[in-house]
Amino acid sequence: MPIYSLFIKNNDNKTAFLPKAFNIVIAVALFMLFFLFSIKRLGMEFDFSFLWSFRYRLAQGFAATVELSLASLVVSLFLGFLSALANNSRILVISYFSKVYVQFFRGTPLIMQVYLFFYIIGTAWGVDNRFWAGVLILSIFEGAYISEIIRGGLDSIEHTQLEAARAVGLKSGQTMRLIVLPQIIKRTLPSLAGQFASIIKDSSLLSLISVIELTQTIREISASNFAIFESYIFLGLLYLTLTFPISMYTRYLESRYSYEN
Amino acid sequence: MRIELKAVSKIFSDGNRALDNITYREDFNALAIIGPSGGGKSTLLRILGGLIEPTSGEVALNGKKICYDEKHLIQYRRKIGFVFQSKGLFNHLTARQNIILPLVNVHGYTKAGAGTTADNLLERFGLFRDRHKYPHELSGGQQQRVAIARAVAVKPKLLLLDEPTSALDPELTSEVLDMLNELRNEGLNFILVTHEMGFAKKACDKLMFIVNGRLAEYGDSEKLFTSPETEELAGFLSKVLEWNV
Ligand SMILES: Nc1ncnc2c1ncn2[C@@H]1O[C@H](COP(=O)(O)OP(=O)(O)O)[C@@H](O)[C@H]1O
Ligand SMILES: [Mg+2]
Repeated sequence: MPIYSLFIKNNDNKTAFLPKAFNIVIAVALFMLFFLFSIKRLGMEFDFSFLWSFRYRLAQGFAATVELSLASLVVSLFLGFLSALANNSRILVISYFSKVYVQFFRGTPLIMQVYLFFYIIGTAWGVDNRFWAGVLILSIFEGAYISEIIRGGLDSIEHTQLEAARAVGLKSGQTMRLIVLPQIIKRTLPSLAGQFASIIKDSSLLSLISVIELTQTIREISASNFAIFESYIFLGLLYLTLTFPISMYTRYLESRYSYEN
Repeated sequence: MRIELKAVSKIFSDGNRALDNITYREDFNALAIIGPSGGGKSTLLRILGGLIEPTSGEVALNGKKICYDEKHLIQYRRKIGFVFQSKGLFNHLTARQNIILPLVNVHGYTKAGAGTTADNLLERFGLFRDRHKYPHELSGGQQQRVAIARAVAVKPKLLLLDEPTSALDPELTSEVLDMLNELRNEGLNFILVTHEMGFAKKACDKLMFIVNGRLAEYGDSEKLFTSPETEELAGFLSKVLEWNV
């Protein structure tokens, strides 16, 4: 095996395990070196040991972020599915309501939505549980993206599938449950998994309305001992432990789906 | 089986007149529908299958009039098998699951009973080894054979097929037609839209020739092929048979 083949992609676009692992290690090392070098230039010394004394609060914050994200995933899937169906509705006002919803929440920054909805809508309607207010705001935001993903899934179902369902004698409810839903799920799962990673990251903005999740916990810790850099580096690593496996799973789903076509 | 069409017309919502006043009465075992494309063959077959409603006219099978409202149509479709040109199998299900689904969810079979029925059919049509494959893993010919197996699994009183082989290579075409011929010899009645003139002539007893939404000629299949009465059919046959060996 010539030495350069350790570094160059094969013609068939497949990379064997050894060159893959080897090059990933190098890439990660380069990335870290750049970071460490920058720190060196600032002449700073990092000490992460203080984090240990905050381990219980950190674990609580981590758990809160997981709970917040899971709850938001469920609610946003529901909203997104509803919105996708509404978008295809033949009743115009329902269809346009869904379009306006999607356009507004995809077209404005989450930070604005968090403030506006918590202080105006939340106050006006008496939502004072911060956790659930957070879930609701985040779900409405992510639901707009999920709506588009599911709409794409609905569009991708071929007409012949529906006609075949009718021909074998399925009722429309059965067609939805046995044919349409399973096909949409299969097709949109990679994108939905990716969206879940976004939910996890976006949930950090809920610290702005003092939902006690991971980012808010770190903000509080770093405010008390001024170890801002260490705190935020650690924060990043914690988010990565959540998003990285999801990202790998998304990749796997994508490759499986592309093979089917 | 006896088919009766009384002044059947279909005008689509865009004003397109796909079928124009078709009247036809015939006893058949295997009926072939031929004609140039765009003539209305698929439209007629979909009306016969209860998938769309005629704009006017009446359709009856064995003396029983088809009632075109959704409630009756659901019952009606359950007694009819329908095979599409292609892509009629459910993408997310294996060959075996495709056959099982209607048996369980429409015809009230138990899972085990449906499984046995499916396995017997798959075995019989040489598909058993591929029973756990998804449609995209099957050849076009295998897909169509599974589609036919799914349609006959429910013991339909009539099988409708819309150009089941026109998306297939020649060698795959004959494996599908062989299967159909075998089913016909067992007494299954079918109506088939096809461009396979050899099959229409030898395996089908009756023929309908449809041009521009009109029934231009009909009768015994053998006879129409050897001595067509209209210029239209003679011209059509000479065109489609031009390069036959
Ligand atoms: N759903 C539809 N809406 C409007 N026009 C249609 C529709 N389906 C078929 N047609 C038209 O009806 C005519 C007959 O079509 P079809 O029955 O598919 O013919 P064939 O199967 O003989 O090729 C064509 O002109 C076609 O464009
Ligand atoms: Mg056609």
